[in-house]
Amino acid sequence: MPDLGVRASVCARGGRKDLTMPGAIMFEFPDLFFTGLFLTVQLSVLGSIGALAAGTLIALFRISPIPPLRWVGVAYVEFFRNTPLLVQLFFLFLGLGALGFRFWTTDTFESIFRAGAAGMALYHGAYVAEVIRGGLLGVDKGQIEAARSLGLSYVQTLRYVQLPQTFRATIPPLGNIGIALIKNTSLASTIGVAELLQAAEIVESRTFRTEEAFGAVVLLYLVLTIPASLGVNWLERRLLVAR
Amino acid sequence: MRSILVRITALGAAVAVLAAACGGGGGAPTQPSPTAAPAATAAAKPKFELASYQYAIQTKGKLKVGTREDNVPFGLKNPATCKFEGFDVDVVREFAIAIFGAEGKADPDKFIEYVPVVSATRIPTLKDNKADIVAATFTVNEERLKEIDFSTVYFRTGQKILVKKSDTTIKEVADLKGKTVCTAKGSTSEKNIAAKNKDAKLLLLDSYPPCLIALQQGQADAVSTDETILFGLVKQDPNTKIVGGYFSDEPYGIGIAKGRTGFAPFLNKVIADMIADGRWAALYKKHITPVSGDVKDGPHDKGRPGG
Repeated sequence: MPDLGVRASVCARGGRKDLTMPGAIMFEFPDLFFTGLFLTVQLSVLGSIGALAAGTLIALFRISPIPPLRWVGVAYVEFFRNTPLLVQLFFLFLGLGALGFRFWTTDTFESIFRAGAAGMALYHGAYVAEVIRGGLLGVDKGQIEAARSLGLSYVQTLRYVQLPQTFRATIPPLGNIGIALIKNTSLASTIGVAELLQAAEIVESRTFRTEEAFGAVVLLYLVLTIPASLGVNWLERRLLVAR
Repeated sequence: MRSILVRITALGAAVAVLAAACGGGGGAPTQPSPTAAPAATAAAKPKFELASYQYAIQTKGKLKVGTREDNVPFGLKNPATCKFEGFDVDVVREFAIAIFGAEGKADPDKFIEYVPVVSATRIPTLKDNKADIVAATFTVNEERLKEIDFSTVYFRTGQKILVKKSDTTIKEVADLKGKTVCTAKGSTSEKNIAAKNKDAKLLLLDSYPPCLIALQQGQADAVSTDETILFGLVKQDPNTKIVGGYFSDEPYGIGIAKGRTGFAPFLNKVIADMIADGRWAALYKKHITPVSGDVKDGPHDKGRPGG
């Protein structure tokens, strides 16, 4: 139980006169905050790679000439886009756990981390799939016909003509999804991944310094997301095809 | 326009009917029996000093009680009967009997007005005078004593460990070394575990039901928090058991606002009498024994196996 008495008296003190520099608290609890930050980065990177892979595959399914593959693609996108990420995480952690699946590890924390990363990849993969599909459909039909008449197979046309243009054209929306993914990793705290948000919650419950703990988290998320935004902008300037 | 007005009125009436179905909180209003002489009833009431707060309550005719509606087995509003029940509630009924005498004994709920509280509203409820007392698994501690007064300790519990029934390796907090222990984040339980066994690996979730599932699946080796909460988990899953001794102290008291003349000593006397004459033990047996399996004679009793 959070101790209300202590909270109330902290509030009554009226915004702590000894308030230190914003974010200074992270250096008082470096193991919690920086281990948390590292886990958030790991989740973000693994989640992004997974989302890009899953999304591209599903997008190819969705434009495939083979109907069952198209159905799989539609089912995937509609399921993962239309259910809450939080519910998916709980299913991956406790639901699959009930079926005996632990992501090929016996260590609880490793299996929870993998469940979290898988949740990030699967959920955001649905959004990536729709963006990529849009990009693939945006490639001029004349180019595809030209490639096929030059003797390129369906797969070769995808590989050398459609996908390269698609990735370059979809950098801005993919960047959006990536940044959303970084922030959404905070939901993994609910299944017990000791990432950034959970670190702040632990520090808050130990010290009752709510504003400082969550202020530090805001700063650390900005440290991750602002460079990500700048990186996306840079990539866009470098690679975007003018059409 | 008219039809909207009619609909709103109908809706209001429906809400009123629904509210009335579980309204009052103090049980059905009982008509005063015409045969009972008012003088005799008044004579049956205990006499208090005029300046005391219990006299003020007696004169008012209602004891306002803040309690929880969802805290098995301490305070619970039974959804079937709309009546409050639980250990805390029965202790409060003893206070009502002590204040209102024989008439209170016949139907204590007639003199009690229940004010539902949650953890965070317990102190404000007292300070705003919305309740005379708060009986809601209210741990006495230094910080709270700055804000309100407490009675003596009427129930004592502490943090314990819940494991699977088949588990033979975890018997006390020292055995948690290297084990995965699930508890709620933002709780004193998390702090206590970290303080008592820094080698325990903490799995922090939002509440206790997911912890129980993690334990059932073997993702967690143990769940740890106040024994009273663990009682509720054991009730949900009989394949679990509570092990070890207390490794934190959670003494529950009755909360009252500051400045209530003579009220705390009065409550203390009632609590002491209940412990002395076995009413406390009877309440323990009624509410706690079904989930804990032990019997106790008082809050400071170590407890022993009971039937």
